[in-house]
Amino acid sequence: MKRGALCAAVFAITCSAIALQLRAGQAAVLTPPVQANYMLNCMGCHLADGSGAAGKVPSVRDSMLILSRSTAGRRYLVQVPGAALSPLSDLELAQVLSWMVRNLSARTVASDFTDFTAAEVADYRRAPLVNVRERRAQLLAVAADRAAR
Amino acid sequence: MSRGRRAWASAALALSACLCGPRGWAQIPAEPEGVVEQLPARPAPHWVWVNDMAFFAFPDGKAFLVDGDSGRMLGMLSTGYSFTSVLIPRTGAVIYAPEIYFSRGTRGTRSDVVTIYDATRLEPVGEIEIPPKRASLMPMPGAQALTDDDRFLLIYNFTPSQSVTVVDTHSRKFVGEIETAGCALVYPTGPRSFFSICGDGALLETTLTDAGTLARRERTAELIDVLKDPLSEKGVRRGDTWLFASFEGVLHPLRATGAGVEAQPTWPLFTPQELAQHWRTGGLQHLAVHGASGRLFAVVHQGGPGTHKDPGEQVWVYDLASHKRMQTITTRNKIGSIQVSQDSQPLLFGCSIDSNRLDIYDATSGKYLRTVESLGLTPTVLVLP
Amino acid sequence: MTARVPYAGNPLDAFVERMTRDLARRVSRRSFLGNVGALLFTTGVPLLPVARGAAPTAARPEAAADPGDPQTCEYWRHCAIDGFLCACCGGSIQSCPPGTEASAITWVGTCHNPADGHDYIVSYNDCCGKSQCGRCLCNRNEGDKPLYMPFKSNDYNWCAGSKVGIAYHCSTARVVGVAK
Repeated sequence: MKRGALCAAVFAITCSAIALQLRAGQAAVLTPPVQANYMLNCMGCHLADGSGAAGKVPSVRDSMLILSRSTAGRRYLVQVPGAALSPLSDLELAQVLSWMVRNLSARTVASDFTDFTAAEVADYRRAPLVNVRERRAQLLAVAADRAAR
Repeated sequence: MSRGRRAWASAALALSACLCGPRGWAQIPAEPEGVVEQLPARPAPHWVWVNDMAFFAFPDGKAFLVDGDSGRMLGMLSTGYSFTSVLIPRTGAVIYAPEIYFSRGTRGTRSDVVTIYDATRLEPVGEIEIPPKRASLMPMPGAQALTDDDRFLLIYNFTPSQSVTVVDTHSRKFVGEIETAGCALVYPTGPRSFFSICGDGALLETTLTDAGTLARRERTAELIDVLKDPLSEKGVRRGDTWLFASFEGVLHPLRATGAGVEAQPTWPLFTPQELAQHWRTGGLQHLAVHGASGRLFAVVHQGGPGTHKDPGEQVWVYDLASHKRMQTITTRNKIGSIQVSQDSQPLLFGCSIDSNRLDIYDATSGKYLRTVESLGLTPTVLVLP
Repeated sequence: MTARVPYAGNPLDAFVERMTRDLARRVSRRSFLGNVGALLFTTGVPLLPVARGAAPTAARPEAAADPGDPQTCEYWRHCAIDGFLCACCGGSIQSCPPGTEASAITWVGTCHNPADGHDYIVSYNDCCGKSQCGRCLCNRNEGDKPLYMPFKSNDYNWCAGSKVGIAYHCSTARVVGVAK
């Protein structure tokens, strides 16, 4: 009886020690909040590298950088329903969009890219888009035209 | 006559009667071959369609037609991959079933069609090709609908891009696809109008031209708090008003007026005490309405957050005029989908995706009547013809 | 599997020695995974199913940090899953059965891990291209939202986003990060 109790006690102490060690090792791996927000609100469709799926979800790897260079383009990026209608606050959304441009773009992001601001997002997301395809095509055509000249 | 001889005599008489008497000739006459049943021209008030999405075997979607009074199966439709529901126009001459097929069963080329079935022969009489984008999801009434004059068929697409396919049932042709980005499902409000529910709790109101093309598309203000207490998308309709229950049991009436959809005052399905006891609605088709008497039926159970899809063993009945609960129906089995016939002696139908039986009750007294067994694999939504 | 070695000394010592040896083995493996895991979290590279000869459970993190059986509905990562568990179908909690396609497009939620008290970010990638597996059906809905919030809804057939299309076979529950 005594031996059994001692066994159990030793076992319990050993387990706690190991558990504490595990917990200590655990503390370091919290996903950065902006990236976590991307994962929870956007990554499901846009994927970890922003490539989406042809015909179903547009790739953002080229388009976000291009569109972020014009006011109309930046407005669009906030107005797309995935952004505008998301439960993210204006600041959180601004941070996620900026993170996307900086981390998911195929090209190096130019130093003249300015991060989205909460105020900017608050303004644009008041009018979410419904006809997204048309608008996107329009804006990219204008941007391509501008680039060609 | 001695007893023994009498017995023999009786036996001989009986035998001869069997063999020779006109009533006694026992042979079954030969039966005609190739006889196929046909349904009557008009559906009976107690008929119901039990849609089966075949969750264990997606290629084998079905819709069963059941007579609620006799408890007999009247016939069925074979309706393809990831089947949602049949759509029944008020004329009742045909039945529409949006269907999906793969050229090799579960792979190959996908083709989406709307099959048109003759309502009495349950045979396909036509087919309309539509874009292969129809949403594959847990069936619910908002996934597809007919406009109020039955002219246009509306089908919610999800690829995951969101749009609505419009089909003209007169010309039997695909008219067009209307983008509804950020908004889901279709709830008709008139002969050329419907709304969808958007991710921020606003509605998207879409109006079609007479020809079924896009006339107008407008978002309303946010009507629902989707973060605190989202509205369950499984709404039912009474006249010009759609009724939705939120996760916490708040009833949201959305009324279609000439000017658009208006949120009417909400009212609770549960008293504070009932909420404290964790009563909530749950299931796949958890609401039903009897239009003439203004009664709302709701499947309820006791459970915490996250149980909004759980089936229940009670149906609570509310008076839509006074918002008071007037009746509790205890069900024999757990159900998640209900439907109520619209006649003056209505039946309450109930089924669950966890079993393939249909339970039938008297909707007024709550009395259990009968069960129809073996209806497919996973019955989902119940539709009245 | 340690062979039973006759122990000349105190049987208690033998027991403790055996237990600590076992646990020590698990801890060191866990630290390795912890480091690799952190790298994967920050790059956000999806863990794609890899062909391997080992049994599907060979790659699974240690039981102490990831308690429960992925073949059961009660397993903590299944807090908002809807479908058949790939672990019962020739796949694993994070890999697809042979001959199916891992659908990259899906919805992402969080589930609470009782072992360490963290809310993990879980990506419910489906495996597509065949008829339903039909085994280990599980539907839980913690944090699930209606269809009009697709990124939080498990009522969609997410195989729609895959190349093979809506032929749904089973669902995985892949850890991709830690929310809190």
